[in-house]
Amino acid sequence: MQGQLTPRAWLARLARSERRHLALAVLAGIAAGLLTIAQMATLAWLVSSMLIEGAAPASLMTGFVALVVMVMLRALAQWGQESAGLTASLGVRARARRELLDHLERLGPVGLADHHSASLANRVVDQVEALDGYIARFLPQMRLAVAIPLVILGVVVWLDWLAALFLLLAAPLIPLFMALVGMGAERLNREQFETVSRLSRHFIDRVRGITTLQLFGASAQATRDVHAAAEDYRIRSMRTLRLAFLSSAVLEFFAAVAIAVVAIYVGFGLLGYIRFGPADELTLFSGLLVLLLAPEFFQPLRTLSQHYHDRAAALGAAEGMVALLDEVPPRSDEAPLPCRSDALVELEAVTVSYPERGRVLGPLDLTVRAGEILGVSGPSGVGKSSLLQLMAGFIAPASGRHRAAPDLRVAWMDQRPLLIHGTLADNLRLAAPEADEAALRDALRCVGLGELLEALPEGLGTPLGERGVGLSGGQAHRLALARIFLSPAPLVLLDEPTASLDDDSEVRVLEALSVLVEQGRTLVIASHRPAPLALATRRLSLSREGAGERRESEEVVHG
Amino acid sequence: MADRAPGLVATLSPWFVHLGRRRGRLLTGAALMLLALVAALGLLALSGWFITATALTGLVLASGGAAMLDVYVPGGGIRAFALTRTVARYLERLYNHDTVLRLLADLRGHMFAVLADLDAARLSRRRASDWLNRLTADIDTLDSLFLRLLAPALVALLAILGLSAFLALWAPSVGLATGVMLGLIWCWLTLGQARLGLAASRRRVTELERLRGRVIEHLSGMAELESHGALPEQRRRLDTIEARLRDDQRRLGRLSALGTALAGLTVGLTWVLALWLGAQLWASEALSGPLMVMMPLAVLAMSEALMALPMAFTQFGATQAAAERLNALEASRRPTKTLPDGHLPSAGPLSVDLERIGLRYPGALTATLDDFSLHLAPGERLALCGPSGVGKSSVAALIAGQLVPDSGCVRLGGVDIEHAEGQALRRRLAMLTQGSELFDDSLAANLRLGDPAASDEYLWRLLDDVELGEWARTLPRGLETRVGEGGRRLSGGQARRLALARLMLRDPGLVILDEPFTGLDAGTARRLAERLDAWLADRTVIYLSHRRDDEAMPLPGVTQTLELQARTGRPLCAKARNLSG
Repeated sequence: MQGQLTPRAWLARLARSERRHLALAVLAGIAAGLLTIAQMATLAWLVSSMLIEGAAPASLMTGFVALVVMVMLRALAQWGQESAGLTASLGVRARARRELLDHLERLGPVGLADHHSASLANRVVDQVEALDGYIARFLPQMRLAVAIPLVILGVVVWLDWLAALFLLLAAPLIPLFMALVGMGAERLNREQFETVSRLSRHFIDRVRGITTLQLFGASAQATRDVHAAAEDYRIRSMRTLRLAFLSSAVLEFFAAVAIAVVAIYVGFGLLGYIRFGPADELTLFSGLLVLLLAPEFFQPLRTLSQHYHDRAAALGAAEGMVALLDEVPPRSDEAPLPCRSDALVELEAVTVSYPERGRVLGPLDLTVRAGEILGVSGPSGVGKSSLLQLMAGFIAPASGRHRAAPDLRVAWMDQRPLLIHGTLADNLRLAAPEADEAALRDALRCVGLGELLEALPEGLGTPLGERGVGLSGGQAHRLALARIFLSPAPLVLLDEPTASLDDDSEVRVLEALSVLVEQGRTLVIASHRPAPLALATRRLSLSREGAGERRESEEVVHG
Repeated sequence: MADRAPGLVATLSPWFVHLGRRRGRLLTGAALMLLALVAALGLLALSGWFITATALTGLVLASGGAAMLDVYVPGGGIRAFALTRTVARYLERLYNHDTVLRLLADLRGHMFAVLADLDAARLSRRRASDWLNRLTADIDTLDSLFLRLLAPALVALLAILGLSAFLALWAPSVGLATGVMLGLIWCWLTLGQARLGLAASRRRVTELERLRGRVIEHLSGMAELESHGALPEQRRRLDTIEARLRDDQRRLGRLSALGTALAGLTVGLTWVLALWLGAQLWASEALSGPLMVMMPLAVLAMSEALMALPMAFTQFGATQAAAERLNALEASRRPTKTLPDGHLPSAGPLSVDLERIGLRYPGALTATLDDFSLHLAPGERLALCGPSGVGKSSVAALIAGQLVPDSGCVRLGGVDIEHAEGQALRRRLAMLTQGSELFDDSLAANLRLGDPAASDEYLWRLLDDVELGEWARTLPRGLETRVGEGGRRLSGGQARRLALARLMLRDPGLVILDEPFTGLDAGTARRLAERLDAWLADRTVIYLSHRRDDEAMPLPGVTQTLELQARTGRPLCAKARNLSG
C-alpha cells in the first residue's frame, strides 16, 4: 500500500478485478435496451397497420406474439443485468474487506490504538457494504447511459431528423449539467458522510455513558442533545440534498420537455401544419415511434442519476478506507536484529515516540535475559506500556536498536484481557489450537480457575459472551493467563496483570506467575502495585523528572 | 400485510404511531409522489392520444375531407403534464427526505429517552459496541419505513386503482385486465417479495452484526491474538461469517432481480394485452383509434411506479427484526414511579438504611443479595470490601436507585427512595463508578457535567487539585481539548482524576466511590486522598474496594468496614458484570 492512493484509483482497481461480470451486466443492459426499441417499433407498426391500413387485429397475430416474446426476453435481460452486477459487487466487497483487514493486521495493536475498534469495525463491515450500489448498478449504468441513447438517436435520425435534433439539443446539455451539479453534490455528500458518522458517534458515545448521565441527573439534557444533533444533521443534509436532487430534476425536466416537444411537433406535422424539413413525411408509424423512443432516450440517464448517490456514497466510504490503507504501520516489516549475546531482548538507547504525544520513553538501554523476572515500575504515563509494546514488536523504536533472540515468541497480557465470542475452550485454544482437553484443564487449574470449571455444567463447552459478560474481571484475567500457560512463548509480557483484581485474585495470579517462572519462562511485569513487583528478580524504575526529562534506575533484587 | 406473520401489526404498530405524529407531512409527501406519477402517466398517454388523433385527422384532411381537431387543449395539457412531472418529482424528493430526517431526530431522541429509563441491570448487558451499532442501525432502518416501504407501495396501489378505473371508463375490459394483472404483480412485489426474503433479510442483519462483533474482537484483542499467533485462525472464523453473509446477500440480490424482472414482464404483458383488447374494441367500432393507442401507453408508464418495490420489500425482514428488537427494549423500560411523596433532606449528610434487601439478577442461579441490611448514620464513612463479583456494585446501584430490589427497601435520609423525587435523589447523591466514563467532548464539557454553571477559573482550580492542571496548561487548547471517545486520549490515571474532579464539582449528601484511585500510582493516590478527604467532610461516604487495607490506596477517614463474603453455593460465574465496567 504505497502512500497517496486515491479513493478513485482504489475503486477503479477493485472494479477491474470484476471486469468480466461488469461487462456481462453491460451486455445484458444493452440487450434490454435493444429489445425495448424493438418493442416500441412493433407497437407503432401494429397501431399504424390497424388505424391507417385498416388491418384486422386477428390478422396481426404474429405481431402480437412477437411483442409477447420480446417482453419476455427483455425481462430475462433485465434479470441478467442485475444478477451480473450483484456478483461483481459481492466479489469487490469481499476483496475490499480482505485488503482492509490485512492492512489493519499490519498496523498492529499500537497502530490501531488511536482508533476506536467500533469505528474501525464500522469501516470494515458497513462502509465496505456502501460500495454495493456503485459497483452493482452505477458502473454498468455509466456505460449504458452512453450506448443506449446513441442507438436510439440513430433510429430517430432515420425516422425524422428534425425530431432527432430536438433530442440531440437536450442531450449534450445533460452531461454538462450533471457534471456541474455532480461536482457540488459530491463535495456536499462527503461532508454529509462525515456528519453522519459524527452523529452516530455522538449518539453511541452518549448511550455508552448513559449510567453516568443518569447519576449526574443529566439524561433529560442528553436526550435534548441527541435530538438537537439529529436536527442539525437534518439541516446540513437538506443543504446537500437540495443540490443533489437538482441534477435529477434537470434530467427530468429535459426528458419531460423533450417528450412534450416531440409530441407537439409530431402532432402538428401529421396535421400538415409544419411545411419544412422532414415533417411532411411523418406517418403515424414514424411519429408514434419517435414519441415512444423519446422517454427511452432519457431513461438510462435518469437511472444513472438515481444511482449517483451510490457513487458519492462509495467515494465517501472509499475515502475513509483509503485513509486507513495509507496509514503507515508504527513498526517495520523486518524482524528485529538478532541479539549479540544469548539474551532474549537487547535494547540499545531506544526511544519511543508518538506523533501527538512526543517522546514517551527513553533513551533506554536494557537487556532481558532468559529466566529472569523484570519488574518495571514508575508513575502512570512514563512509558511502561510502550516499553512492553516495543519488546512485543508492536512498535518500532524512534531511535536506537531493538534486538531480539532469533524467532523469539512472546506472550502478551494487559489490563483488558481478550474474550472472544465462543466457548471457554475456544478462548483457551487461541494460544494453542492443538491443545487437548486435559491440557486446557491443567492450564485452568494453574490459574486457579479449576473450581470454576467444575461449577460449570457445560464445562469447557460453556459459551462466553462478548467482553466477558458472564465472567468477572478477575476471572477474565486468569483466563488470559491460562492462555499463556498453554502458549509455548518463552518471554511473557505482562502489563498491569493485577490492576483490577481483589486481593484474593491477585494472590492467585501471582502464584500462577511463579509457576510460569518455574517452567523456565522469562517475565517482564509492568505495574505500579507492590505485590507483582515483589516477584521481580530485577527492577527497572522509570521516572520523570522536571519537564519531560526522564531518568531510569535499575536495581537488582537478590533473594 | 396482516396475515403474513403473526403479530406483524403488533410489531409495527408502535412505529406507525410514531409516524402518525407527522401525519400531515407524510400525506403531503405521498400526495406529491402520486402527483409526479400521474403527471408522468398523463404525459405519455395524452401524447399518444394526440399523435394518433392528429394522424387520423391529417389523413382525412389530406384526402380532402373536412375534420376539426382542437390542438390547443391537448397541447396545453401535454405542456402542463411535462412541467408538473418535473416540479412534483423534485419537491417530492426534497420534502420526503426532510420528513425522514425529522423522523430520525424523533426516533433517536425517543430511543435515547427509553435507554435513559432502563435500570442498571439491563443497561450493563447492553453496553457492548456491536449492540450500540445495531441500535443505531435499527433506528435508521425504521426511519426509512415510510419512504422505502409505505409510501411507494401505497402510491403504486393508488395509481393502479386509479389507472384501472380510468381505463374502465373507456373500455371496461381493458380496465379490468389492467387492474387484475397489475394488482397481482403489486401483491407479488410487496407481500411475495417480503415473504420470500424474510428469513434471509432477517438473518443478514444478524450476520452483519456477528461480523462486526468478530471484527471488534479481532482488532481490540490484536495484541493477544498476534502474540499467540492466533490471527490467522481468527481470520478464518471471520471469513466463515463473511461467506455466510455473502450467501444471504446473493440470495436476496437474486430475489430482488427476479422481482424487477417480473415487474417488467407483467407491465409488458399488460400493455400488450391492453393493446390487443383495445384493438378488438376498435375493430368492433366500440373504441376510437386514439383511445386505443392511449391505453397501452398509460400502462407502459406504470413501470416507473413498480420498479422501486422489489428491492425495498425483499429486505422487509430487516425492518421487522429491527422493530422487534426496539420494541423489546422499550418493553424492558422501568415502570414509572408512583407519585413521589418523600422529601430528601435538602442539605447535610444523609443517613443510609438498607432493610433486608433481596436481589436476584434475571437468569442467575442464586440471589446476589439475600436478607442484606446496612445502616449508616449521617457523616459516617463505610468501606464496603470484598472480591469482585460479590455484589458491592449491586449495593451501590441499589442505593443510587439504579436497581430496584426484589424485596426490602432502601432509605436515604429516612426516605424510601422508591418514593423520593428523582431529581432530588440525583442532586443529593454522587457516585464515582468503577470505570471513568468520559464523553467525546472537551475537558471543560466533561467537567461541567458535575456543575453546568462552573466558571473556568473554578475548573482550573479543580484540575490543580487532582494534579492535572500542570498537564492541562501544556495543552494548546487547554480546557477545550477533546478527550476522545470514552476519554481514550487520556491515560487511565488522567481519566480517573478527571472523573474525580467532575465529582468534586457537586455538593451531595452521600458519596459512593468505587475504587477511587485505580490506575493511579501510590504517591498521587496519597496526595489526592488528602484533598478528597477535605471535600468529603460533612458528607456520608461509601467506598467500594476489593481490598480491606491497602497501603498504596488509602481510603480517607473510614469509620466502618463491612466485608461482603462470597457465600458458599454462589455460582463462581458472576451473572452481571460491574455496572460501570
